[in-house]
Amino acid sequence: MYALPFILFMRLHRAALDARRKDRTWKFLGWSAISGLLAAILIGCLLFATVILFATGLWWLGIPLLALFLIPVAGTLITRHALVPLGMYRTAFWIGHFTSVEDSDAMALVFSAWALSHRPSTAGEVWIAARRDRRRPLGDAEVVTTALLASARGDAAGARQLMRSTLDLVEVHPAVRELAGEWLACDAAERGAWHELAADAAAARFPATSLTYFLEGVAAQRIGAANAPNASTLYARWLFAPHRRATAQWLTPPRVVSNSQSVETVIAATEPAPDRAPLPRAVAAHIGLAHKASASELAEAVGAWDAALADEATRAWIARRALELDAPLGAAERALKDVTRAVTDELARIADGARLGAPSGRGAVGNELARRLRHGRLDALEQGFSRWEARSNTGQVLPPIDEWREWIALRVQYDAAVTAGGLDLRRLAFPHAYKMGNSMSAWLWNTRSEYALSHAIFTWLLGEALAVGDTEAIEMLTRNSRLAVSTRTGRVEFPKS
Amino acid sequence: MNQIAENPFFVLGIGVDASRIEIEREANKLLGMLELDFAGAKTYLTPLGPRPRTAESVRAAVAALRDPYQRLVAEVWARHAPASQVVAVEPEAPIDDATEGARRALGWRP
Repeated sequence: MYALPFILFMRLHRAALDARRKDRTWKFLGWSAISGLLAAILIGCLLFATVILFATGLWWLGIPLLALFLIPVAGTLITRHALVPLGMYRTAFWIGHFTSVEDSDAMALVFSAWALSHRPSTAGEVWIAARRDRRRPLGDAEVVTTALLASARGDAAGARQLMRSTLDLVEVHPAVRELAGEWLACDAAERGAWHELAADAAAARFPATSLTYFLEGVAAQRIGAANAPNASTLYARWLFAPHRRATAQWLTPPRVVSNSQSVETVIAATEPAPDRAPLPRAVAAHIGLAHKASASELAEAVGAWDAALADEATRAWIARRALELDAPLGAAERALKDVTRAVTDELARIADGARLGAPSGRGAVGNELARRLRHGRLDALEQGFSRWEARSNTGQVLPPIDEWREWIALRVQYDAAVTAGGLDLRRLAFPHAYKMGNSMSAWLWNTRSEYALSHAIFTWLLGEALAVGDTEAIEMLTRNSRLAVSTRTGRVEFPKS
Repeated sequence: MNQIAENPFFVLGIGVDASRIEIEREANKLLGMLELDFAGAKTYLTPLGPRPRTAESVRAAVAALRDPYQRLVAEVWARHAPASQVVAVEPEAPIDDATEGARRALGWRP
C-alpha cells in the first residue's frame, strides 16, 4: 500500500517524458522540468526509505527496493553517466531491462551497445550480436544496436546510414528513437552539418532528448532559421542538456579562423572567352572540370567538344598538321576518333565520380556520354537488384539485420543513380527494381515473417511508382503497403483509402 | 586529364612548334639536369598545376614526339590549352563550424 503513491509518481514521471517527446516548443522545457522534479522527489524518497531500512537492520530489503524502484526512474541517467563511460555493457543490458515496461529487451540491447562503443571488444560485440539475432522479426532496436556496434568499430558513416534507416521502419520504440536522434544530432554537430540537423528538427523525424533539443537550437541559430531560439532560450535549453561543459562552446557564435598566408599556385585561364575558337574553348572547358565538376560545367564542356569536333576549321587544321608532320595516311581521322574517345572516357569518369547526369549534347561526345552513363548505371543497378532477389529462389537466408543492410545499400545505389540520371533513368530503372523488390518483399513477408522490413520495401517502391507514374505498380503496392504490420510495440494499421 | 597532365610538350617544357632537333636537345638537357638533381628540373608546369618530372617521363615524352601521329594528338591538346600562370591565391577564411570530437565529448562514439 505504501508503494502506491510511489508508483503513481513513477507513472507521472513517465507521462511527463512521453509528453515531452511530442513537443519542440517551450513546453519541452516545461515537461523536462516536471519530469526532473518528479525524478528528484522519487529518488529522494527512495534513498530516505533505504537509509531507514539499513538503519533498522533490514538492509536485505533495501537492496531489492533500490533495484526495483530506482532503476526505472534513474536508469538512463545511470547508464549515460556511469555505465557507458566505463564500458559496462553487460550491466547496461540488465539495467536497460528495468527502464522500460514494454519490450524491455529493446532498451537493454541499445544500452548495451552504447556502453560497448566506449570500450569496444570482440567478445562484447559477439555477446550483443547473439542477443540481437535471437530477436525476430527485425525492428528499430536491432537496427540502432547494429549502428552502435558499427560506431564501436569506428565506422561513423555506416552508423549514420543505419540510424537514419530506422525512419523507414514502422516499429517505434520512442526511447530507442530518442537515442538514435541524439546520436545523429551529435554527429551533425561534429561535421558542422547544421542544415541537416535543422531539417531533421523541422520535420520532427526523431523524438528529442534534452541534448538533441539544445543542438537543434544551435543548428537553427547557425543557419539563421526564422524559428531560431534567442540567446536566453538557447541558454535554457543548454541548462537542461547533459554534458554542459562540452556544449558551452555552442552558446557563442562560430569564430572565423584567420589565415593570412596566401598560396602561390599555377592555374590555367579556364574561363572560355566568347571570342575563342571552338577547339581552345573546348580544351579550356575540359580543364575547368578538373577544378570544379558541376552539372553546368559538364554541360558546357560537352557542348564545347561537340562544337569543336564538328567544326570544319578544326578538321582542316588537324588534316593540315598531319600533312606537315608527315603522319601516316588516315592519321587525321584517327586522331579525331582518339580525341573523341579520350574526351568521352574522361567526362564519363568525372560524371560518375561527381554523380552527375548526362547533359543533353547531340554531338559525338554528348551522345556517347549519355549512352555510356545510362547503360553503365542501369546495368549496375539491375545486377544489384537481381543478385538480391535471387536469394529468395535459392533459399540463401541471411539474418534479418543483414537483409536490412543489403536493402539500404541497394537503395543508396538506386538513389545515387537516379539523382545523376534524372527522371529518364528513373523511369528505366523502376520496372526492374519493382519486379525484384516486390518479389523479395513478398518472400520476406510470407516466408520469413519480417513484416517491418517487408513493409519498408513496399512503401519505398510505392513512392517510386508514384514518382514515375506506373499505375499498375501503384495499385499493387498501395494494397501491399496498407497491410497491417505486427510489431513488438503493437499492431500498426494503415487507412484503407 | 592525362592528355594535359602528361602531355609531352608540357613534360619537356617546349613550344608546340619546336623542331625535332630542339626536342632532342631539350630532352638531353633535362636528363642531364635530373641526373645532377637540379631542383628546377624536377617539376614542370601544366594548366592543371605543377607536376613531378622524372627521367622516365622525359624519355617517354621525347619518344612520343618522335612519332608523327602521337605528336599530332599531343598538339591538339597542348596547342589549344590555356596558358599556365603563377598566381597568388588567398585561401577563403574558413569558419570554425565543425567540431572535431563532438560525438565523443557528448557521450557517443566514434
